[in-house]
Amino acid sequence: MPGFDLQLLLHGQYHDWLLAGLLVSLKLAALTIACALPLAVVIALLRLSPWRPLQWLGATYVEVIRNVPLIAHLLFWYFGAPELLPDAVKERLYAGSYEFVAAAIALTLYATAFMAENIRSGIRAIPAVQLEAARALGLGFLLAMRRVVLPQALRITVPPLLSQVIILWNDTSIATVIGVGEMMYQAARVESAAFHSVEAFAFVTAAYLAGSLALTAVAAWIHRRWPVRTL
Amino acid sequence: MRIRRFAASRAARNLPPLDNSRDAMKIKLRFLLATVLAATTFVSVAHADQLADIKKKGEIVVGVLGTDEPNSFVDPKTREIVGYEVDLANAIARKIGVKATFKQIAVAARIPELQQGRVDLLAASLTHNKERESQIDFSLTTFVTGQKVIVKTSSGIADVPQLAGKKVLTVKGGTQEENVRKAVPSVEVVTFETTQQAFQALQQGKGAGYVNDEATLVNDIAKLGPAKKDYRILPTNLSTEPLALGLRKNEPALKKVVDDTLAELEKSGEADKIFLKWYGPTTKLQFDKRSFKIDSDKI
Repeated sequence: MPGFDLQLLLHGQYHDWLLAGLLVSLKLAALTIACALPLAVVIALLRLSPWRPLQWLGATYVEVIRNVPLIAHLLFWYFGAPELLPDAVKERLYAGSYEFVAAAIALTLYATAFMAENIRSGIRAIPAVQLEAARALGLGFLLAMRRVVLPQALRITVPPLLSQVIILWNDTSIATVIGVGEMMYQAARVESAAFHSVEAFAFVTAAYLAGSLALTAVAAWIHRRWPVRTL
Repeated sequence: MRIRRFAASRAARNLPPLDNSRDAMKIKLRFLLATVLAATTFVSVAHADQLADIKKKGEIVVGVLGTDEPNSFVDPKTREIVGYEVDLANAIARKIGVKATFKQIAVAARIPELQQGRVDLLAASLTHNKERESQIDFSLTTFVTGQKVIVKTSSGIADVPQLAGKKVLTVKGGTQEENVRKAVPSVEVVTFETTQQAFQALQQGKGAGYVNDEATLVNDIAKLGPAKKDYRILPTNLSTEPLALGLRKNEPALKKVVDDTLAELEKSGEADKIFLKWYGPTTKLQFDKRSFKIDSDKI
């Protein structure tokens, strides 16, 4: 059993591969979080809207997406969905790095379903009388939500949303199945090229751990900066 | 092992006073990391003699791909794993006097599965190369193939150098990625979990070429039926790959039985028959004759 070769992680070709992987993972996670959070608010509002068909639409989205495993979403958006597009569009898509695009779409839609449920719970934690009072003062549904309910609800939702964001960060590793060059992919590459599995996966473990702890710190700061203020 | 002892002793030396929860947290994290490292470090538990263990168990567990016609694949009628490498492994099991149990494994998992003792023998289209010799032992070479690239005829690519700057697709964990990068340094490589996914991606136009062992490529194209005229195998070999069975390191008794069995198959003409059964003129692959002999474990 060879020893732990730290040099391999500090410089050289394998270091470059792993670092490139880390960068892709970060990009994928940042893009997905940025898209999923606002989308989740929209889905949550759909589910709570006073209009039935919109409620159904939101509920259908959540149930369809969250009851299918993430790996199936990834394979669908990479191998399945684009085949329905016209040839010219397909060619343009495939000329770029469609692996990354497919992963971003699949992860965003998947994370949105879970985050929407968290946000909906947060909204429901605000006493209904607040919405009623806002409406009585003449605010419309959306304005009442935006100015009265959501600012309180989102504060309540920070801890569960944090869990969801951490799950999302870790879930970016599954994108390796559709050939996205993220961290897991690069670690596997180091493993097959040089059999330095321990070093490669130690790097990956430390990077996911560090990323998750950083997210926890950000969430703790948000929680302090905007504490829960609900009657 | 060294890492685990190192990390554990460090953690022990840093034991904090009980009231210091921040340090305790740090220690916990360090322990967690150490455990993770230790778990990935545990590789092989020492066996007295693997051959004796196999005889005692009454079975030899053979790691096969099971998705790689004609080396090992699931027969659609009998639902059993059959193929060229399966026949070789069965001959070895018969020689030892035990039952062969076939376990399907992924390309990238082959060597770890063997090292961790979850399979006794690899018969999984395994390339015998110098880098791998430090990890595992190899039997006599059981097959020789070249790695090649398929492209769509419509791409206009006539040979390997024209792949420069293009995206090629292949499977994770094999020698394909390394070989194509050596042949065309500027190529972009995207790898998948199975060869089928890589080939699927080529058919959908997600890359210009698909790299694999020639025998597998011929077989993949044959499955397309009339559409196979739309694909072309590029003439230049990326590499010549000697395939062999994989064994755990330093198991001389098992290696001897395996090599003896293979040498006997070669001498009796049985090896030729097995080759023709899976690769011969009546199969999809339509090789006329064997271009190699099973007689050496040197590369």
